[in-house]
Amino acid sequence: MGKLIGGFIAGVAVVAVLVWAMAGSLMFREVPSPFGVEETVARIQQNIQAAGNGWDLVGLRNPGKAIEQDGGNTLPVLMVEACSTRYSGPILKNDAIRFLSILMPCKISVYKKSDGKVYIGLMNARLIGSLFGAEVSALMSQVAADQARFVTFDPTKPAPPMIKGTPGGAATGASGAAAGGC
Amino acid sequence: MSSRLKLALAALAAGTLLASLTAVAMPAAAPTSAVAAASNSTADHSKFKALQQPFKTGPEVTKACLGCHTEAAKQVQHTKHWTWEFTDPKTGKKLGKRNIINNFCTSPISNEKDCMACHAGYGWKDSSFDFSVEANVDCMVCHDTTGTYRKLPGDAGHPVYQRREFPPGSGKFVEAVDLRKVAQSIGKTSRSTCGSCHFFGAGANGTKHGDLDAALQNPDKYLDVHMDRKGLNFTCATCHQTSGHQVAGSRYEMAAAVTGPAHMRGKADAEPASCQSCHGDRPHPAQLAKLNDHARKVACQTCHIPEYARDAIGTELSWDWSQATKMGADGKPVAAKDSAGRRAFDSKKGAWVWDSYVVPEYRWFNGEFAYKTLGDKIDPSATVEINHPGGSPAAADSRIWPLKIHRGKQAYDTENNILIVAHTAGEDDTALWHNYDWQKAIGTGMKAAGLPYSGKYGFVSTEMSWPITHMVAPKGDALACHQCHSENGRLQGVAGVYLPGRDRPRMLDMIGWTIVALSLGGSMMHGILCVLFRRCKRSKQA
Repeated sequence: MGKLIGGFIAGVAVVAVLVWAMAGSLMFREVPSPFGVEETVARIQQNIQAAGNGWDLVGLRNPGKAIEQDGGNTLPVLMVEACSTRYSGPILKNDAIRFLSILMPCKISVYKKSDGKVYIGLMNARLIGSLFGAEVSALMSQVAADQARFVTFDPTKPAPPMIKGTPGGAATGASGAAAGGC
Repeated sequence: MSSRLKLALAALAAGTLLASLTAVAMPAAAPTSAVAAASNSTADHSKFKALQQPFKTGPEVTKACLGCHTEAAKQVQHTKHWTWEFTDPKTGKKLGKRNIINNFCTSPISNEKDCMACHAGYGWKDSSFDFSVEANVDCMVCHDTTGTYRKLPGDAGHPVYQRREFPPGSGKFVEAVDLRKVAQSIGKTSRSTCGSCHFFGAGANGTKHGDLDAALQNPDKYLDVHMDRKGLNFTCATCHQTSGHQVAGSRYEMAAAVTGPAHMRGKADAEPASCQSCHGDRPHPAQLAKLNDHARKVACQTCHIPEYARDAIGTELSWDWSQATKMGADGKPVAAKDSAGRRAFDSKKGAWVWDSYVVPEYRWFNGEFAYKTLGDKIDPSATVEINHPGGSPAAADSRIWPLKIHRGKQAYDTENNILIVAHTAGEDDTALWHNYDWQKAIGTGMKAAGLPYSGKYGFVSTEMSWPITHMVAPKGDALACHQCHSENGRLQGVAGVYLPGRDRPRMLDMIGWTIVALSLGGSMMHGILCVLFRRCKRSKQA
């Protein structure tokens, strides 16, 4: 009996360690982009504008700018911010889950790594949503579906211009409050 | 608005404007360093009688300069800045802009009136230019400190004498230069004067080199530790030491593997524009001695310039001339920009690809390129290397160097298998940018170059290598070990050197894994036998 309980505890411990180790990669994902940083951003912005479902661009941030101003190098990183009142509304109106405003606006990060390639960083909205009950799970599943369309590109279309003048900050500024759709 | 932000916006605006130009010598912004240098001068040029006259042309100013600086023009006339030619001392081959079809605007031949906006002279409009006339040497383009001296395409190297709209139809005007003011304000060269051509080569800011663009006029430490305006504040001439107007450190006569201790400034130095000239060939402290060992095979630039074009300006990675003359849906010329606002297409010139923060490509390099020159045969079934970097892993004069490799497509004669000189710039009936007719443009260009043309042309893939040596990052941003010592690392394609982490001797791997397998197998066998024998023992005891 002792061996059985010991084995059970060991199994739980192993699973806990595995979950701990994999949690990061489960909650966020990284996909390579076939385009440069600016073109990837521009195509994501174009997809967001065409997505419907209340989606709107609310900002484009450059988190590396502050580091450069301190005299350090960072490879390019731009963060596209978008929001949909269709999804943010129910969350912001419900006191019990209002704290999830911390997740707003939705962010998609586009960055270059030292291998010279460009990547897209995304939050796994479906998984994170599933941690907060049925209502949030349902909403975030729809967000995840839309998000997948944001990063699906049609290379036959010409590169659109990157939109810098969206509310909440510009590509050249590291600060600035988000506004707009949220 | 912060000064960094202003600088970035200004650089972006300048890049956008210049993207539409072909070959423009930008006005040299009045640099604080040059002004300071002028104020330290033992001569106040505004007090010289010879410089107080109302000059009408550049050559008039030069004549006045030569009144005191009697040997200056003769010295300049022996430099590449004047001849646009270099003779390789080893092969005797004539190189330089006059003899090479580069991967950008291709050749100045038959396009002199435009290209000579970046010539240190006046009046080179065709092959009849007299290189011996001293008055045609342009002193001001390198020594202006006012930032008002500007040379535009189409003027054969003369500055703007009369206010005019440029680019035509843009609504923007370039003011006429005040030659007397410029002549009286003459000073040392500056990042702005050198950069007016070297930052803007091939028609737009940052196009050509990859490690040279207008952001270096006032760079921060992160962009270039040596030129950092708040730090060392080097000018170009700090490294590119000049004697008798001969500027050291040309791409045509590089040394890729300088050895020996650091030199004192002021001492005769064969390679003043090398890292080793100041840092020596063992630059790291004793506790980092392993890095000094690397210096025997790896150029300083490989680790200390992790990416080039580290700014919003970026650099051009390819130029596809085969797309030139393609018109818009309405049959009229069109132009387009990429997502970052850089030039992407123009019916006159073709298609471009740009990027920023570019990871270099790495090659063994001994400082010498083997160039294709005018009339050299090519193999159109393969990519034509305009210049091939020399060097090998075994050679003592070679190092692993970072390169910008610019790719493209160029026109070639499909019968004679030679690259083509096309007459692109100009308003005449045969200029490509005027009539969009390749045949006429090639006919005129090849005739001017003295090359045969079969009448048939096609396009061939080309590439041109540029050694990366500017935009040295702070030491904290140098490459980390794992960026090379890993599978799929930076040096993945560099052969001829054993790289721990990247390379693994198969035999040693096999021996190691065999030992692991035997150990594991032995342990398992031991365990199985123990269990079996214990059971046997128990059954016997029972």
